[in-house]
Amino acid sequence: MRFKSLFKNQTFFLFIIILLLSVAAGLVNPRFFTIQNFLSILRQSTVLGILSMSMALLLISGSIDLSIGAMMGLGAVISCTMVMNGFSVFLAVLAGFFTPVVGSLFNGLIVSWNKSVPPLIITLGMSFVYSGLSLVVSGGQFLSMQGKFYFLGGGEIGGIPVPVIVLVVVVSAVHVLLKYTKYGRRVVAMGGNEELAFLSGIETRRYEISNFLISGGLVGLASLVLVSRLGSVVAGVGSGYALRALAAAIIGGVTFEGGRGTVFGTLLGVILLGVISNGMNILNISSYYQDVVSGLIIVIAVIVSSIGAWSK
Amino acid sequence: MYDNSKARSEESLIRTEGIEKTFPGVEALADVSFSLFPGEIHSVVGENGAGKSTFIKILSGALEPDSGTIYMDGQKFPHLDPHQSQDLGIQVIYQENILVPSMNVAENIFVGHEKTGRFGFISYNRAMEEARDLIESLGIDLDPTVKVEELGVVAKQFVKVLKALALESKVLIMDEPVAALPPEDTEKILNLVKELKQNGISVIYISHKLEDVLEISDRITVLKDGEVVNVHDVDAEEIDEDLISREMVGRPIDKFYKKEEIEIGDILFQVKGLMKDEDSPAVDLEVREGEILAIAGLANAGRTELVRTIFGAEDYEKGEFEYQGNRVKILSPRDAIATGLGLIPEDRRVSGLASGLSVKENVTIADLDKLGDVFLDMGREEDFVQEHVDRLEIKTPSLEQEVRFLSGGNQQKVVLARWLFADVDVLIFDEPTRGIDVNTKAEIYKIMQGLAKKGKAIIMVSSEMPELISMSDRILVMKEGSIVAELTGEEITEEEIISNAV
Repeated sequence: MRFKSLFKNQTFFLFIIILLLSVAAGLVNPRFFTIQNFLSILRQSTVLGILSMSMALLLISGSIDLSIGAMMGLGAVISCTMVMNGFSVFLAVLAGFFTPVVGSLFNGLIVSWNKSVPPLIITLGMSFVYSGLSLVVSGGQFLSMQGKFYFLGGGEIGGIPVPVIVLVVVVSAVHVLLKYTKYGRRVVAMGGNEELAFLSGIETRRYEISNFLISGGLVGLASLVLVSRLGSVVAGVGSGYALRALAAAIIGGVTFEGGRGTVFGTLLGVILLGVISNGMNILNISSYYQDVVSGLIIVIAVIVSSIGAWSK
Repeated sequence: MYDNSKARSEESLIRTEGIEKTFPGVEALADVSFSLFPGEIHSVVGENGAGKSTFIKILSGALEPDSGTIYMDGQKFPHLDPHQSQDLGIQVIYQENILVPSMNVAENIFVGHEKTGRFGFISYNRAMEEARDLIESLGIDLDPTVKVEELGVVAKQFVKVLKALALESKVLIMDEPVAALPPEDTEKILNLVKELKQNGISVIYISHKLEDVLEISDRITVLKDGEVVNVHDVDAEEIDEDLISREMVGRPIDKFYKKEEIEIGDILFQVKGLMKDEDSPAVDLEVREGEILAIAGLANAGRTELVRTIFGAEDYEKGEFEYQGNRVKILSPRDAIATGLGLIPEDRRVSGLASGLSVKENVTIADLDKLGDVFLDMGREEDFVQEHVDRLEIKTPSLEQEVRFLSGGNQQKVVLARWLFADVDVLIFDEPTRGIDVNTKAEIYKIMQGLAKKGKAIIMVSSEMPELISMSDRILVMKEGSIVAELTGEEITEEEIISNAV
């Protein structure tokens, strides 16, 4: 019985898919199965991983924010611009962090104020605003942190990359928040049925705004990791991230309807995307084909993993 | 075992013989023989789990029987698939919405087999004409140009039926078409069923409401635990609700729950001069400890709005609330809960439950403060919820089960458990037993009585006469947003309630 329920578990399916892909990649090129490569997959997944946590939190609460990638890009652009203009690294980092926080808060205010337009549309529109602002701030230039602020994205503690540690902390924190706190339980209930949440005494509007605020904090953190890891950015650096974060969350069993899904599932979704792109790099697949292949694998993964959910 | 299937077999439209269906652990249908004649209304009644749904699914081709034979139009089938079933003219009118809200009535009727004119383009005129003809043939009041999203529940049911008729159906299977409807709307649906019969359509009618079943049926098949207990010919036999409900459960169920006398205490909660808008009537009411106060009235009398407003879920112009004689402020459900109020809403699926969340999560959501300041004490939660599940006898495989998999009655108990967990003193039930089978109904009544005994105050909005009459100490009758009558003791009769409500 226990075994059977394992088979119906979407997270389990996802795990199997990741395993199969890894074995396939490893058979073709044994270099895939090295600790070095494993850490490199994780390191490359950190920015997307943190963003995906923000996406998962919002989806589970019954909302969404498609501008997280653009806000992250704007944060990174602002940090670099400040450093290049002689501001202290501390101030630049602070600004890079708080830009997405303020942006998210703004998104949250609009979304909770206007109930007739779905958050999907509002935040899609806002993503153009934020990516446009990145262009305005950067003037289309290539920006650099001038080698300052390296540790968060590139450092190591005891052989483990710092961003990986950051990701682990973020995932655990969001997991604890959703699973073990009153706040999280209310958020999940709100995503499951907003009217019920309201009738149960939950101030849904307040919770919606604070979710966006938490999400903004995560995006701010992602922005810092990004800028620290890359060292230099262009205005479009955040593009594509929001949709990949969405894909990771959905692959991981989070749904558009809200109220469902787990943080660990989402993390597996992120790792799946990481394994796919790393595997293709190692197999020397032309980068032109990589999007096609990873897109197809995403669709297949979502279908296969949801078969598990259907058969309940 | 009663067998009526051979009597007029050569004329019957549908006939089944020895249908059996077993699911893991349950024998859903055992040797079911059934027949349906042209132009006949044949009702199938039985408790939840008696096998009604399984039987319909076999006729509609959604399920394959383990054994048995289906005869349609003289042809013999071991089983049907959904296409065959539709080709043979069988259509099921489901409770779920299968209509497109943004399209008008005529377009909805012909979705999937649109009326075309020259060059194969859709002809709106033809669709409109044929829709008018169909509507007229049934003598119902419906404008084919109106968008479905603007229609009420009954009119939507009409459209579903018309849609089925447009497919030239011979047999309509109606599964609980009046489950969520107030009496006056129920009447409209029943009239429609009769009209269908006049037009030569056969109807298999599934309902919990025996009163309706007796009114319209030619024959009634009673199912119990997957077996046919009896087939009644309504015109030829002396039958009443009591007889049928006895057959359904094997023992008589008192239609009128026998409520104990409970001592009524002091005024617990009071509403003074509550006005929804500037020019709406002011409503006053008070409810005492141990009292069950009912609010009766027609569907649009404003009962649900009133209780939702009291609960802080809707805005109001002015009004005062007193709890144990002290003035309290209620501007949101949060305030109401803090005051000690709990609402068991009319529509469980829309506002009573988060159906994808577990039993546990649904029970504790209104009072998480009990489980900790920041972090939830999961162990305590488990114990608390288990205690309530046991106390209310909620049938669920585990506390982690998603509530959408529970039966209607058990779902209602989960909502109830939420307020017992939150330990509120004034419970507002909006249609406490809507869509719930007879036995669970009695359980809900017993729980309500137990609560009253403990000194809780109960406000109950209800449209069911037996429920109003047997459960309430006092009844307020509402009409057009205001309270028009207060009935107590001997005045509580069906006649008094109705004459004041209309």
